[in-house]
Amino acid sequence: MIELRFHEELYDGFAIDEAVKLYGPYAAFKLSRQDQGYVVQIEPLAGDDPVDPAVVAAELMNYALGKTIERARAATDIAPEATPAEETA
Amino acid sequence: MSDITTVLGEASVQVEFDESLYPKDAIYGAAYVFIDRCYVHLDRAADKRIRVTLRAKSGTLTDGEALSGELQNELLGQAWRLSIAAENRQLIESLTARALGGAAGPPGLDELLAMDIDEATAFDDPLGIAMSWEEKYKKKGSDDAKDEEAKPEGAKAAEAKPGDEKPADEKPEGAKPAEPSAEKST
Repeated sequence: MIELRFHEELYDGFAIDEAVKLYGPYAAFKLSRQDQGYVVQIEPLAGDDPVDPAVVAAELMNYALGKTIERARAATDIAPEATPAEETA
Repeated sequence: MSDITTVLGEASVQVEFDESLYPKDAIYGAAYVFIDRCYVHLDRAADKRIRVTLRAKSGTLTDGEALSGELQNELLGQAWRLSIAAENRQLIESLTARALGGAAGPPGLDELLAMDIDEATAFDDPLGIAMSWEEKYKKKGSDDAKDEEAKPEGAKAAEAKPGDEKPADEKPEGAKPAEPSAEKST
């Protein structure tokens, strides 16, 4: 079994959910919430030709990061941060 | 002492740095650059410290030190780009708004219908732009004479300027009160 830990300040929970759904057909996942993070446990699916769970875990990790970044940027575009001039005013 | 720590492994490289050095968006931006070449993982190593782990997709890292250096350069570049973007945000927004406003073109039928135009505002023409050429530059002679004939005497007297009035003693004797010319003809 492989266990991945994603810190809640660095990863978006929705992005992790989406990644798990995407890679659902290739492995068995178990999601849980532990202190300051999301934990994903990955096990290979029973079958004749199971996909290597290490590869699935690594790909899931990248997908979750990419999705987190996309979501963070989308949020920034909708509500841009206040400029220093606005903050002082 | 350097705030950046690098741990080189056989298949991965870990770079750890102080969170206050780079904004979170810069860390994300730098990590995103490596996502096609490596498996990237972000973690909090300690309080205010972030650890980026890069693992080669092929299995073995050929040059971990170069990869670490590249990540650090990318972090700096992303942080600088964010700083420039923040400084110029107002200018960029202003230019974009002006460009979009210019591209919108003249108002459409819906906008024209939505405008508040009534009889009073629609025919308000203080500069005389809506007047025809003939109307604006007509000769005073012939047209005025025709107009004068058509006007009643009382109206003529009312139109006359105070300076143009003849003195009372210059009036011909036996002058009758003004009558409309139309009545004269009948």
